[in-house]
This record gives sequence, structure tokens and C-alpha cells, in this order.
Amino acid sequence: MDSWIHPALFFFLGALLLPFLKGRTKKAFILLVPAVSILAVALARHGTYGRYHFLGADGIFGRVDAMSMVFAWVFVIMAFLGALYALHREEDGHHMAGFFYVGSALGAVFAGDYLTLFIFWEIMAFSSVFLIWYRKGNKAIEAGFRYLLFHVFGGLLLFAGMMLYYYKTGSLAFESILPANASWPEYLILAGFALNAAVLPLHAWLPDAYPEASVEGAVFLCAFTTKTAVYVLARGFSGFEILAVMGTAMTVFGVCYAVIENDIRRVLAYHIISQVGYMVAGVGIGTALAVNGAAAHSFAHILYKALLFMGAGSVLYVTGTAKLSRLGGLYKYMPLTMIFYVVGAVSISGFPLFSGFVSKSMIVAAAHEEGRLWLMALMNLAGIGTFLSVGLKVTYFAFFGKEAAEPLAAKEPPLNMLWAMGLTSLLCLIIGVFPRTLYVLLPFPVEYHPYNAAHLAEALQILSFTGLVFYLLVKKLSPEAKINLDVDYFYRKGALLFMKFDEKVVAPLDTLWGELYRTLGLGALFKNADLSYAFDRKAIDGVVDGTAYSVMDFGSVVKRLQTGRIQTYIGLALFMLFAILWFVLVVA
Amino acid sequence: MDVLKIIEYLRGKLAALRIAFFVFLGAVVLFDILIPRGDAHYFVDAIYAFWTFFALIGCFLLIKISKGVAHLILSKDEDYYG
Repeated sequence: MDSWIHPALFFFLGALLLPFLKGRTKKAFILLVPAVSILAVALARHGTYGRYHFLGADGIFGRVDAMSMVFAWVFVIMAFLGALYALHREEDGHHMAGFFYVGSALGAVFAGDYLTLFIFWEIMAFSSVFLIWYRKGNKAIEAGFRYLLFHVFGGLLLFAGMMLYYYKTGSLAFESILPANASWPEYLILAGFALNAAVLPLHAWLPDAYPEASVEGAVFLCAFTTKTAVYVLARGFSGFEILAVMGTAMTVFGVCYAVIENDIRRVLAYHIISQVGYMVAGVGIGTALAVNGAAAHSFAHILYKALLFMGAGSVLYVTGTAKLSRLGGLYKYMPLTMIFYVVGAVSISGFPLFSGFVSKSMIVAAAHEEGRLWLMALMNLAGIGTFLSVGLKVTYFAFFGKEAAEPLAAKEPPLNMLWAMGLTSLLCLIIGVFPRTLYVLLPFPVEYHPYNAAHLAEALQILSFTGLVFYLLVKKLSPEAKINLDVDYFYRKGALLFMKFDEKVVAPLDTLWGELYRTLGLGALFKNADLSYAFDRKAIDGVVDGTAYSVMDFGSVVKRLQTGRIQTYIGLALFMLFAILWFVLVVA
Repeated sequence: MDVLKIIEYLRGKLAALRIAFFVFLGAVVLFDILIPRGDAHYFVDAIYAFWTFFALIGCFLLIKISKGVAHLILSKDEDYYG
């Protein structure tokens, strides 16, 4: 099969068709769209499709190869699971935003040039913000605007970079860049990508916005933006040392915040930074094993992170809060949700037999293989923090621990949510037990065996002794009803400071200027006005009056023509038309 | 619900679970000591139970430092941003 149907097409068309459907047809359609796109990805053959020429540059809509296919696969699978989880939502707009978001992420992954990439990149930002706004309420709306501002800024970095890149190379082709060839244009592009990957210090949009998103929207959000960014980094910037260092820093930074956060979805949001850190570090290390690891970890991460957000979302959906300080003892009311959440938690923590183990260990092993022991140690430290906060802290304080102070109206969430969680759990387990199902998709041919004795010993020691420390220090980890400052402090407080500056400095200056003008400027103004008045009377009036008399004379002539009878007007109009025609044809 | 019964049953046997957990910890360390180390390139591979000590110290420091910094600087009331 030589033709190729872009899987994004189904999502864009589906989004446009959705409002015209009703009832059960609509629900079926919401699941059908991602299902058909899974089929489209399954049928896709490697190759280059959809070349176009625009504004003097060559573009490619479809670069289908091993690297783009890994991400396409997990994106369409996730789209299906996310749609299933969100099936109960009545608003068309929510589903449409989800479809546009997934479609544009697919568009970005298959893009072979910067222009195509940029267009889908922007659609992604503008469609995803609706998933935040659909939570409704002031907090979500404000967080959505901050999210949008941040991503518009990131888009501008990318746009500036790609324009300079075009100026430098004469091409917009999106190819791998060698660190030695990189200068301003490439680094601007890198910064644009890094912002979407939540690389420090451009990360604050993520824990600011995702916890404010709608229950179902957060499941979509956690999957696509950061992983599209990991894909473009892997495609363009593998082997950049700065990514290895910053990625590793992200892994530890994320878990430190996760240890102290109170809201489950904020804990999970910081863990996105941490987990994406592994991928960014893998891209930065740049060996075949490391980049494979980044791709594999993206795949596994999308599933288990979505599962965790589904679990946390279910808690929020039924109890109205995701704050650990107000939860407790939920295992009695939502045991299935708890089991699914725990599957997600042990997957992210890298328990043997679960998906995180077979993907994360690839990146850690790549660092080890390259002799980057510091990176390896810090990644393992982050692994400790992951199990500590997502696995133990959240599970213990939400589902066990002491009963919540105010009784919670908790029960299992709707059936579609449970099914989505169940299926996602199953996938996490399948990948963990049969890692080859994932490894066959990876971009580079590398032999890697996750289940060897050394890896198992390392993982088991780290996990079980983290459990021991948790057991000893559990009181220290009691959730506190607080929020924690992050770098968003600077722009959130900075904006207030600016408003205050405007109020206290700019506005008074404006008033002062007005006063000055009134007292000093008015005298001159009056003098000036006198002069103008004289000029007006003597010179202008003369001319105007003369003109006015002429107009009155003309008016009295026209008045005679206005008979009020339509045939007269038509006759006059025809006469004028003939006169003009005659003038144009004969005289001129 | 069966799941619930299993959880309740296990919650009734906390003392036994604790013992099982400690036995498991011992087994993990033993496993690390017993595995062959022929291809140990770096000290992290050569030292017995290296990751046990790493996890104990790392986890302790992670909690202490994160909580400490939070209490010192980062932690604010929930309506801090209004």
C-alpha cells in the first residue's frame, strides 16, 4: 500500500462532525474515531508522504518511520483510553478539544519540516487550553490563561528559531542537529521544545495548569504535550549534553516537590516533570540504547501516568477533592479505583513485571554503560522519590491512613471510567511482563534484557528499602494543607507587582501630567485658541460661507428634480448612465 | 466485594505482614550478595548491597531536605495567590 492516510485526519474531521450527532450514536462515534485512527496507524507503511511546496520551502506532512511510529502508536491508543474515560461528559466542546489536541499532536509527530511542526504545535496549545477551562471556575480560567501565555511564548521561541534557521541553512527540513553545528537558531528551537518538555526552569506551567484541568482533560493533557516535546527533542537534539544534565536535574526536582505537595494531581504533575526528565536525559546521553529508552519510557509513561491521573481524577470526581489532607480510608468505598491506581503507582516506580521497569531501566542502564555514574545515581535517587510519593504517600494517605475528618461521599466512579482504568492497567502489565511487545517498536536495533540479575537486584533494593524508610518516617510525611512556591511565583507575583507599579507609579504620573497640562498648558492653549478663532472667522468662514451659498443654489435646482415619483428617478438615472457612457465612449 | 474482604483480612494481620516485609528485605540483600559480579565495571556494581545503603540514605535525605526547604521557604497558605 503506497498511499497513506494521516491518522490526525480522523480526529480533525471527527471533531467537526461530533456536534451533529446525538445520544448513543455520539457516544459510539467518540470511541470510533480513535479506534479508526489506531487502524490507520496499524496500516501505515514507512515512507515520506504529503510533500508540499510553500513560500519557497519544501514541507512534508508525513514522515513515517520507526521513530515517529512509536509515538503515533501510543498516542492513538491513549486517545482511545482517554475518550473512553471521558465518555460520560456531555459537553461536545470537551470532546472536540480532546480530538483537536490529539490530532495536532499526531500532526506534530509526523511533521517532516519546521513549518508543519509549528502549525500543529500551535493548534496543540490552543486546543489543550480548553481542557483546562472546562473545569470551569475562576482558578481554572486563570490557570488556563497562564498556560496559554506560556505556550505562546514557547511557540514564539520556536518560530524565531526556525526563521533564523531558514536564514542560516536555506531549508526548513526538520532533521537531526549535531551539537557542534548548533548556534543561536538551533538553541532557540531547542528552548521552544524544552519549554513544552517542562525542562527547568521553563517547567512551571505544568504543575500550575494540569491540577486545575477538568478530571477527564488532565488525562489527555498528561500524555501529549510533553511527549510530543520528547519526540522532537529525540529527533532533533539527541546527544546534546545540556539535555543529559537538565533531564537528570528534572528527575530529582520533580520528586522533591512531589514529597511535599498535598494535592494528588499536583503530586502527579511534578512526577511528569520527573519522568520526562528521564526521557530528556536519555535523549541527551544520545546513544542508541538511551534514545531507545527515551522512546520506550515515553510509551510506558503515557499509559501509567494517564492511569494515575484517571485514579486521582476518579477520587476528585466522586469526593470533590484531591487534597490528601482531606482524604483517607477510601479503600472501603472505591477498592477497584485503588487497585488500578496502585497498578499505575508500581508501574511508575519501576516494579519488576510492570511497564516502568522495562523502560526506565533502559535509560539508567545507558547512563551506567557510558560511565555517567552521577547521572545514574541521581536517576535512582529520583526512583526512590517516585515510589515514596506516588506509590506510598498518595496510596497510604488517600486510600488508607486515618478516615477523613469530614465524611466523604465516596463510591466507585462511572463504569466507563472503571473500564478505561482497567484496560490501561492491563496494558501496563502486558508491557511489563512481555517487554518485547514494546521493544519491537523502538527506533534502533539494540539488544536489551531488562530482567537480568543485576537490574533486578538494583530495583528491588531501591524499592524495598524506600518502603522501609517510609514505614519509619511516615509521620514526617503527613500531608499539610499548604501550597508550595515554584518559579511561577515570579510571574504570578510579578504580574501583581506590575499592576501595582501601574497603579502607584504610572497612573499618578498620568494624573500629574494632566495637572501640569491644565495649569501650565492651558494659558498657552487659550492664547492659541484666540488666534485660531480669529483665523477661523476671517479666513475660513469666508470660504465656507461662499461654498455654502453655492451648495444652496445647487440644492434648489436638485429640489425641482425630486418629484417623489419612482419613474422620474429611474428615467433620470438612465439619462445619467447614458450621459456617462456617451462621455466615456465618444468624448474620451 | 471480594477485594474489600482481602484488604480487610490483611489489615487484621499487620504484625504478620510486618515480619514478612522484614524477611523480604533480608532476602533482597541476600540476593544482591549472591548474584555473580564478573562484569562489574564500576564501584556501584562491586560493592555488596550498594543500592540498599543508597536507598536508605537517599530516601532519608530526600524527605528531610524536601520537608525542611518546604517549611523554611516554599510552603504557603492555600489562598496565597488569592
